[in-house]
Amino acid sequence: MKEKELFVDFKPQQLVLYVEKEDGSYGQVVSGSYLAKNYLDDYFDKVKKWDKSLKEQLKKGEISPVYYYLIMQEFGEKDLASRVGISLRKLRKHFKMEHYIKMRLSLLKRYADAFDVPVASMVHFLVIGKKAAKHLTIENLDSQNPYFTITKIESGK
Amino acid sequence: MKEIDFKHKMAAHCETGTVQALLNHNGLDISEAMVFGIASGIFFGYFESRNFPFPTFIVRNKPGSIRTNISKRLGVKWETKKFRNPAAGEAALDELIMKKIPTAAQVDFYYMEYMPEWIRVHINVHFVNVIGLNESRYLLSDSYHPEKALLEKETFTKARFVGGHMAPKGFIFYPVHIPENIDFEKAIRKGIKKAAHDMIRLPVPFIGVKGIRKFAKKVTGWPEKARDIDHLSHEIMKINVLLEDQGTGGAGFRFLYATFLQQASQKLNDPQLETMSKRMMEIGDHWRNISYFAAKIGKNRDLGKERLNELSAMIFDMADREEAFFSDLYKMVK
Repeated sequence: MKEKELFVDFKPQQLVLYVEKEDGSYGQVVSGSYLAKNYLDDYFDKVKKWDKSLKEQLKKGEISPVYYYLIMQEFGEKDLASRVGISLRKLRKHFKMEHYIKMRLSLLKRYADAFDVPVASMVHFLVIGKKAAKHLTIENLDSQNPYFTITKIESGK
Repeated sequence: MKEIDFKHKMAAHCETGTVQALLNHNGLDISEAMVFGIASGIFFGYFESRNFPFPTFIVRNKPGSIRTNISKRLGVKWETKKFRNPAAGEAALDELIMKKIPTAAQVDFYYMEYMPEWIRVHINVHFVNVIGLNESRYLLSDSYHPEKALLEKETFTKARFVGGHMAPKGFIFYPVHIPENIDFEKAIRKGIKKAAHDMIRLPVPFIGVKGIRKFAKKVTGWPEKARDIDHLSHEIMKINVLLEDQGTGGAGFRFLYATFLQQASQKLNDPQLETMSKRMMEIGDHWRNISYFAAKIGKNRDLGKERLNELSAMIFDMADREEAFFSDLYKMVK
């Protein structure tokens, strides 16, 4: 494909593409992502919808936080089971609250590590209103106790 | 910050870019396209596995094979290390950087926090070069990022030691020997032969052109596997991501391979390879059309049977084109 047909002006996501240059030689050009430039809003809309729908299901107790993060972070089931160090069968049980609530804290921590979230986020979501978010900074502080999360909320952003 | 004098540049693909940069740093002048072609990087495989959240396909050879094939064909020797203990892995990497040895590391891409959030997915086969450090951070040369990038050591070590499918296990590598006289003609012909063989001759139903046909056949059944229309739209649009945005150089590595064939033609003074290079560029254009089409129907949620059949027909057509192409290429180097 010719250079001018392929080039996209989109700074937030740059990538290297190989193109046919004007002199007929093939080589690199750094371009923006076509998909990100044209379809990123659609992607964020979908993510927002999934987040809302899964949180509704969570509130009703129809799914567990393990299932929520599995979908939101697009994990393969077998990959996640391997990261947590459990069988696929056990992982699937943990998609339901009736089994999730019987989990040991140490296993919950392994899930939190795989999802790269504080262990508290496996039982608790912090929701900040749009207006308030403009004025707040939220930070998870380091703690020597990995089973204990300190969340610092400050005003005056 | 202890920083190694290392030329950072973007590349289409993380593994070829990382290997090329290390070879360049150690005195071997070689392009990314040449690394890719000699290492038989071009490929196709269709997978329905629980390791992935949805059916997917790959358009390059197995992660790690770029390095090993370069070793086989150019005689480059690599020092490689894996670790069980993250602290030992971190200490070994730090020691190499302190000795001014740029070192490639395998990581889970999700943790590369300097990349845009919408492309950061859990995939354990991302490669970056580590080129500096201080007490709390590493300086990285990541082929996907326009500039050198800083990342917290804790985050980087986590990315090196996550478990799961193709877990990195702290894997690092760097070249320790590059031969002075390399027989490029032999390396190029071997690289082409292996790639063409794998595309048309492997007796596996989901690999090579058979894999493209499997993809074409199965994509019409994706609606039954999706949670809802938005999920189906997301997965169809990911066809574009996998072909264009996930480090392929465009059209699922086909443009990169066309560039390799052109460079090979010049190096070996073989006009037949130039003709094949043009054919591969045209094949790439057709894959690119599939990318655009997938993005469009996904965005419009125009995902009825008729439209997916249309997509399937376009992919079947690619299988025919690539079968003819790689059969001819195989005959040329056999």
